Amino acid sequence: MHIAEGVLSAPVLIGGATITVAGTAIGLKKIEYQDMPKIAVLSSAFFVASLIHIPVGPTSAHLILNGLCGIILGWASFPALLLGLFLQAILFQFGGLTALGVNTATMATSAVFCFLFFKGLAKSQNKLLNFISGFLSGFAGVFIAGLLVALSLSLSGEVFIPVAKMIVIVHIPVMVIEGILTGFVVLFLKRVKPELLN
Amino acid sequence: MITRDIRNFVLIILFPCFIFGHKINIFATVEGNKIFTQSYASDGRKIKGGIIEVYDKSGNKLLSGVTDSLGEFSFVIPKKDDLKIVIIGGMGHRAETIVPAEDLPEIVSPKMERAQTSQNKESSKSPSRADIDTVVIRRLIEDAIDRRLHPVIKIIAEQKKEQIRFTDVVGGIGYIFGIVGICAYFMGKKRNA
Repeated sequence: MHIAEGVLSAPVLIGGATITVAGTAIGLKKIEYQDMPKIAVLSSAFFVASLIHIPVGPTSAHLILNGLCGIILGWASFPALLLGLFLQAILFQFGGLTALGVNTATMATSAVFCFLFFKGLAKSQNKLLNFISGFLSGFAGVFIAGLLVALSLSLSGEVFIPVAKMIVIVHIPVMVIEGILTGFVVLFLKRVKPELLN
Repeated sequence: MITRDIRNFVLIILFPCFIFGHKINIFATVEGNKIFTQSYASDGRKIKGGIIEVYDKSGNKLLSGVTDSLGEFSFVIPKKDDLKIVIIGGMGHRAETIVPAEDLPEIVSPKMERAQTSQNKESSKSPSRADIDTVVIRRLIEDAIDRRLHPVIKIIAEQKKEQIRFTDVVGGIGYIFGIVGICAYFMGKKRNA
């Protein structure tokens, strides 16, 4: 899911960077003082999650946890994921530094999408609905990020449909695992720390 | 609150799975008149069917090819120049390496070699068996050395695989907490003021 250096064309890089700057500005504006610990925790979880790999046929895919970040952090996912991705790029060379804007934009946009669409379900008192909200966030977080990666690759010359298919197929196990994981995390948080989700 | 956050975080990172990197690498070595390349993801998986492209210093594409089932691809050196070898692994994965011109042997095409030897024959009237022999012997020795060195080069390539270091992981987490902590400090100061 991390796009490397030299793959994307300049307009795509600039477009991605613009979205990231705008999203980060909104995120920083919305952050309250008491949100800081959870941003640190989720940013670190995101940073580590990319090291957890699931072999899929000839390639392997890794956990992303952007859906989880989205449902808990909302717009603050932008700065949180930006920080995580920046450190992944400089410490592990995951994704190019010039592609940092695009990588943040793809993962954080889908995180914010999960926040806008599934947060309502997480607030409900019904446990099943809570699990479903978590599952959908985890699942859609990866799915939408995959589509956005395919879109940015297609804007730089690759053909959209086959690339999108390939990325989505490779990430199906990740989507399911992240869905289940995020579902349980939401249930767990709902029980021990419900205010994190409100 | 923070201890619970830490507990949740530990729960997340302990999710048992495989810890690998996710990025691709290419390793190239000169062997005689050929360049041998090996490509792998940083989880150690060989990159099968990756597209290799070779460019010269001024960015002209000289040749391209596809890696085999072992992630390997060899090609005859097309030109004595700084060669940029790029691997495209699909889905946004790409890596490159540069083989500098000084690492490449002088390129002597077989035709030129023959011309040289025949010239030698003509110029020196005495039979120049010795000249031909040196050329042939040099070739044979180079071939033999390349064959012997090939496994060694492969082993070096294997060892060059970058691994994710635990210290980097812990350091990264430390950076995140540090940076967020600094932000929290300034936000708190502002709030108190």
